[in-house]
Amino acid sequence: MILIKNGLTYTMETAPEKMDILVEDGKIKALGHNLNVPEDCDVIDANGKMVFPGFIDAHCHLGMWEDAIGFEGADGNEMTDPITPELRAIDAINPLDRTFEESRNGGVTCCASGPGSANVIGGQFAVIKTVGDRVDDMIVKAPLAMKCAFGENPKRVYSEKKKSPMTRMAIAAELRNALAKAKEYNEKLEAAKDDPTKKPGFDMKMEALLPVIRGEMPLKAHAHRADDILTSIRIAKEFGVKITLEHCTEGHLISHHIAEEGLSVVVGPSFGDRSKFELKNLTFETPGVLAAAGIKVAIMTDHPVVPLHYLPMCAGLSVKAGMEEEEALKAITINAAEILEVEDRVGSIKVGKDADIVVWDKHPFELDSHVLTTIIDGQVVYQKAE
Amino acid sequence: MYSNSRQIQLFWEKDVMIILIQNGKLCTMHGKAFFGDIRIKHGKIAEIGVGLEHKKHEKVIDASGLWVLPGFIDPHTHLGVGEQGIGFEGNDVNEYSSPITPHLRGIDAYNPEDTAVLESIQAGVTSVAIGPGSANVLGGLFSMIKLRHDSVDTALIKEGVGMKSALGENPKRVGRDSSRMPMTRMGTAAKLREALFLATEYLEKNERYEADPENNEQASFDMKWESLIPVLKKELPLKVHVHRADDILTAIRIAKEFDLKFSLDHCSDGHLITDYIAESGATAIVGPTLGFRTKMETRNKTFETPGILNDAGVRVAITTDHPVVPLRELRICAAYAARYGMGQEEALKAITIYPAEIVGLNDRIGSLESGKDADIVLWSGNPLEVFSEAKLVLIDGKVMFDALSDS
Repeated sequence: MILIKNGLTYTMETAPEKMDILVEDGKIKALGHNLNVPEDCDVIDANGKMVFPGFIDAHCHLGMWEDAIGFEGADGNEMTDPITPELRAIDAINPLDRTFEESRNGGVTCCASGPGSANVIGGQFAVIKTVGDRVDDMIVKAPLAMKCAFGENPKRVYSEKKKSPMTRMAIAAELRNALAKAKEYNEKLEAAKDDPTKKPGFDMKMEALLPVIRGEMPLKAHAHRADDILTSIRIAKEFGVKITLEHCTEGHLISHHIAEEGLSVVVGPSFGDRSKFELKNLTFETPGVLAAAGIKVAIMTDHPVVPLHYLPMCAGLSVKAGMEEEEALKAITINAAEILEVEDRVGSIKVGKDADIVVWDKHPFELDSHVLTTIIDGQVVYQKAE
Repeated sequence: MYSNSRQIQLFWEKDVMIILIQNGKLCTMHGKAFFGDIRIKHGKIAEIGVGLEHKKHEKVIDASGLWVLPGFIDPHTHLGVGEQGIGFEGNDVNEYSSPITPHLRGIDAYNPEDTAVLESIQAGVTSVAIGPGSANVLGGLFSMIKLRHDSVDTALIKEGVGMKSALGENPKRVGRDSSRMPMTRMGTAAKLREALFLATEYLEKNERYEADPENNEQASFDMKWESLIPVLKKELPLKVHVHRADDILTAIRIAKEFDLKFSLDHCSDGHLITDYIAESGATAIVGPTLGFRTKMETRNKTFETPGILNDAGVRVAITTDHPVVPLRELRICAAYAARYGMGQEEALKAITIYPAEIVGLNDRIGSLESGKDADIVLWSGNPLEVFSEAKLVLIDGKVMFDALSDS
């Protein structure tokens, strides 16, 4: 049991105020003022400090590319086949990589991690906490979403192999073909309920796409350029599947279309080199423009592109570029949780939710702020030395 | 209002040669900040003081509530050489075809239309060193330029500020992929030493010829060795890309063997061997630190390095290595160096006066001092704080970016 006393608390549910938080059995047990200190309870004096929910990154590759190692630790892109929906992030995440410790020490407690963008369909993302020695114990939700990618990455990777896709037309065709086949596979499975002899032969790729076709799991669509974003939407609508827009670098140029479609967006990484043509309009202004258009926005680091512990910095620089401060905070807490559909457990300081709570010495957007204490699932996982 | 960097207007106030900046918080980089005025005449800082009298024909800029700093300087970038927003067509950073290319010059590949130039001005950066990457053991010449939206020849303020060399993983990875030497650190060092030996032989042959043309032969022209002569004569420092501690020590060993001036660029393991670096007399250009540790040789990378080296008496600058970290985020890099132990005052010097000293241009840039170039930036607040913005940027006394008039 832990009692966090008297910190200026940003619950992300109500206006910030000084309050006490009681943590028990991994959950937030109570919120209030002058709460009684139960027996056997550790007290964290947060007077003069600021308390936030643990931050959430809705799109990264934590543990998929190991720190400082090349090929031997690079497990995010299976560049042997552009359609690999059957691959799972949980089979490749290394929770003992030191970036997990850096991330939770930097106040990031939860993230969606998964395959990269070399493949048209890359595989299954998972939502995990940033502490643990066994990924199976760290899962909040798996499978979360089916990663797919448009634009320069898939076509660059496969052009070098002289294989499809080499153009944006082929990227779209590969995806549509896979979805159409999965739809047919699904129909056969449904028909086979009445007649088992009609069951289609096991197909691991098709099996993996069933939750997408059935509307249970979204496509997580990597797209930078405006037309690629719109292509992803076109295909999602054709097959009636759910979709979230990832990176959405030129989203600010087509915000009205995105708003009309009622889609959520995970924006970033805005800190970085415009290394490709499709990044030429990259700007920190994007999340603010999208939020102002009424779109639900989360902010990503895309770790390791930007290391995960810089997530609050990315949010702060979005504010500098015009995003409302409250929207930027939502973008790394409750909005991220809602986009990942794990808001029953994380994303705000609320009774009944996981006790993922971080105590800061000043506002996390300040470049010289420090995490004093990180709590994940009610356990102190980091305490700054005096 | 959405403002793509391409929409930023340049203001060439041709008729305004005399400017008086009044009442700003002046962070000169020499001593404590104070509230005062700066008079600019014909592109130079003419006078700094308190309560300077407003003269006729002077444009007055009211800097009340604003911080006034020298323009920021980055002594290691590939700005304009590796253009942003473009692929192969704009990437001229590495001449992979041979490991020994000292005769190449960054200025011959610099594109002032790189959209990063205007963005960096808007973020308070006024001069940078530009040059080749680290694929080659000897890559070519780094030059110092002002951030101007015209030809590199006009922007150039010093043609030679460093001869790029590289040790560690990059040259040997390129060698392996091209099936040629170097494929090991031994090969890399041997290639470098061989080039320096051959350049020495070339120089000595020509010196003998010049002393006594009758009895000596001139060496047949070799552009590579010609370009290394200033390095041998200690007029041009060797600018050595190094991360790992042993690679840093190899750089020191070779520089000592040939008696060269040198800088240790990146210097990621620098904090592990501060005494050796301090003893060697090398300068350290530290960064890019804000990013993933992509290679084994960067596994000790930390923002603590610049502060630790600075405390040990090493002359340190902070670099973005643009585009690895975008140049517009130089102040963020300095802010993190400050936070991780360097302190704000020294971190600001590491992006102003210290790089100016390292490139031998501290008579012209790097601080607010009478006689220096009027490279001056007015900030809404402490530039090391996340929400601060540059409100006015002057380079050589010309207004390059103006957000003051909008507010």
